[in-house]
Amino acid sequence: MENKEINSKVNSETSHLDMGKFYFLNNNIDEAVAEFKKVLEINPVNAEAYYNLGLISESGNKIDEAKELYARALNINPSYKIAREKLEKLIGL
Amino acid sequence: MKKKQFAVIGLGTFGYSVATELAKKGMQVLAIDNDSEIVNEISSYVTQALIVDVTDEKAVKEAGVADCDSVIIAIGGNIETSILATLIIKELGVKNIIVKCSSRWHLRVAAKLGADTVIYPEFEMAKKLVDSMVTPNILEQIALSKDYNLVEILAPQKLIGKAIKDSGIRRDYGVNIIAVRRQIPFINDEGQTDIKEEINMVPSPDYEIMKNDVLVVIGQEKSLEKLKKV
Repeated sequence: MENKEINSKVNSETSHLDMGKFYFLNNNIDEAVAEFKKVLEINPVNAEAYYNLGLISESGNKIDEAKELYARALNINPSYKIAREKLEKLIGL
Repeated sequence: MKKKQFAVIGLGTFGYSVATELAKKGMQVLAIDNDSEIVNEISSYVTQALIVDVTDEKAVKEAGVADCDSVIIAIGGNIETSILATLIIKELGVKNIIVKCSSRWHLRVAAKLGADTVIYPEFEMAKKLVDSMVTPNILEQIALSKDYNLVEILAPQKLIGKAIKDSGIRRDYGVNIIAVRRQIPFINDEGQTDIKEEINMVPSPDYEIMKNDVLVVIGQEKSLEKLKKV
């Protein structure tokens, strides 16, 4: 892959992530979910996208789903501190 | 104000946790067990830790249990010891005795002996777990009296987008909303997205119920049952 192509892919991944966070912070949940899913289409191992989807599920009281999403974020990045804290809290640790 | 004094008798998993949590809250805690190892272990966390045979009335008296405001008897493994300890402590005139029981018979005997509160954590936890699995929209349920309960329930679809005054929750279901919990997204100090809980105590009649709101409602059990089915 050419450098230009890689850069554009990274940029697109980052911008969808930022857009997702923006929508989430403004309570546009459906749009936020769509953006985080786009991030995962570009990069299926983006831990932050899984973490944010976990937050959305938790805030919607979908606890099992949230646990699974935090666990996925942690599988990708075992040193993801906040994702671990969230998962442990939901498990009851 | 004088600090409240507690005695915890029996330092198994439950008793140990009760004693250390009380101490963390700044209470005076007298922790008692017949196992020297566990008494040594807890001694650095509580006000006083003693090895006492709680079936020996004189020893219990000398330990100063009678001076405590509340005594928690957490002897789960040996019902006979728990019953004897309850009897002895009742006779010492302790005002508030809480007994952790390990069976329904244990509950009945402890109550007959004059325990002020009897608890059966395994049964209570099992019931809670079943409730949470059978009705997942019910997040918490607390019995306030024989007939009245306080329930945390996910806002039913039918009520979303409606102001409390127009929701008919009091008219149709006979319950009152006393608080609403909601998870709010924010950026934390480390620049990461996070969520925090916002509680709206005694929401106004104009408060609009939103998707994912958790309603804290109070009402008669039969009314709450009706709401749970919405």
